[in-house]
Amino acid sequence: MARLREGLRVQLNVIQALTSRELMTRFGRENIGFLWIMVEPLLFAALVGIAWSFIRGPVNDEINVFAFVVTGYIPLTFLRHSFGRSAKIFVANSALLYHRQVKVLDFIFVRVLIESVGAMMAYMFAGIVLAFFGLFPFPADIGVLVLGWAIYIFFVLSLCTILAPVSEVSDVVEKLVPVSIYVSIPFSGVFNMASWLSPELREILMWSPLVSGMELMRYGLFGSAVTPYYDLGKAFGVSIVCLLIGLILCRRIRRTMTVT
Amino acid sequence: MIETRNLHMDYRSGHVTKHVLKGVDFTIKPRDRIGLLGRNGAGKSTLIRLIGGVEMPTKGKVIRRMTCSWPLGFSGGFQGSLTGYDNARFISRIYDKNYSEMKEFVEEFTELGSNLKMPVKIYSSGMRARLAFALSLAIEFECYLIDEVIMVGDKSFQDKCKEEFFEKRPDRALLLASHSLETVQQYCNRAIVLKDGRATTYEDVSEAVAVYKKL
Repeated sequence: MARLREGLRVQLNVIQALTSRELMTRFGRENIGFLWIMVEPLLFAALVGIAWSFIRGPVNDEINVFAFVVTGYIPLTFLRHSFGRSAKIFVANSALLYHRQVKVLDFIFVRVLIESVGAMMAYMFAGIVLAFFGLFPFPADIGVLVLGWAIYIFFVLSLCTILAPVSEVSDVVEKLVPVSIYVSIPFSGVFNMASWLSPELREILMWSPLVSGMELMRYGLFGSAVTPYYDLGKAFGVSIVCLLIGLILCRRIRRTMTVT
Repeated sequence: MIETRNLHMDYRSGHVTKHVLKGVDFTIKPRDRIGLLGRNGAGKSTLIRLIGGVEMPTKGKVIRRMTCSWPLGFSGGFQGSLTGYDNARFISRIYDKNYSEMKEFVEEFTELGSNLKMPVKIYSSGMRARLAFALSLAIEFECYLIDEVIMVGDKSFQDKCKEEFFEKRPDRALLLASHSLETVQQYCNRAIVLKDGRATTYEDVSEAVAVYKKL
């Protein structure tokens, strides 16, 4: 027990050190970095929102199209950045593996942590800016909104633990990452609610924790204006299975890794 | 004490497998100064990386009962894009040491001055060696793993290393991989010769040096 606590304390130190290192290398020199995380989704939402309102006119009085687009796009950006940065993450950081207490999992954990904090800040920022123009509601239930985010982040983290070790073994995987992100759009509830789909399709999509997470986020935000569909059991079950596979893969790859 | 038990290490590249270590056993006791000799490619760096826990052996194990430095060598341990100071801060955090004390020691030991504000990737190997030694000395390990790197330093650096390791810290253990027979003879009380993936330990350093010369 004492050893476990000591180990946890060391890992906490490592995570703290890696986080500040990561923030320094990425945002230290030019502070535009963190700002850009927040501005980019807003820009995208503005452009798509404008295009949409011209093409289709006001679709739904209760859900604003700007708010709908931005709440879909920001979690997707988080997913894209996390996946993109997880590929080859072990080799990219291998100089730090010279220190025994630095584990490969720390790299993944820190990346996902920073991306998720950035994404949630962007969410708040976009919400505040849009609310200023009357285009964004005050969250109906902040607890549900946070639960949705938590499910989304947990699943992305567990996928990253699979992606990172696999990308070390196969170069193809790294190349396939962008493609798989675009393919995942329909399965992640970015631009649609599950209630707009047929019951059969909806049933299948419930296997994707991304959909459950997104539905909950939107329900927490828009409240009774939307009808959410989610399956907490499947969302956590799928995430935990992925995480277990990921942990095993990380361990195996680390054992045979050449550190330069 | 650090002990290696039946260490095997293979490197695989495609269909080619190279057996670098084929069962290495030895022990590093406190106060041991061990020279590690062997030709290029004999597995000196590999052995040091395994003992440091940077890579994992294919078979066998390393038992560490002393705190042990990371392998101090030409590469590894630093984040190239960060400055010397930032690297020092990172290392002080992960080894749970007071940063301001460490900073003071690093400034004094390395004599790098304003270079510490530059990214480590532009450092020469001598400058890197100074920084690595300063940081690891500030952490106070019980055993130091040194891969070649003392020899890249200039005279003043070598004198400093000698002073810090041999005069101020005679109780520490040292594993020193080197081609400089002079250094090994001067500093070490035991030696290991690596050949064909196996290690032979010699209690008499000059005997080991004679064997190495015939390789």
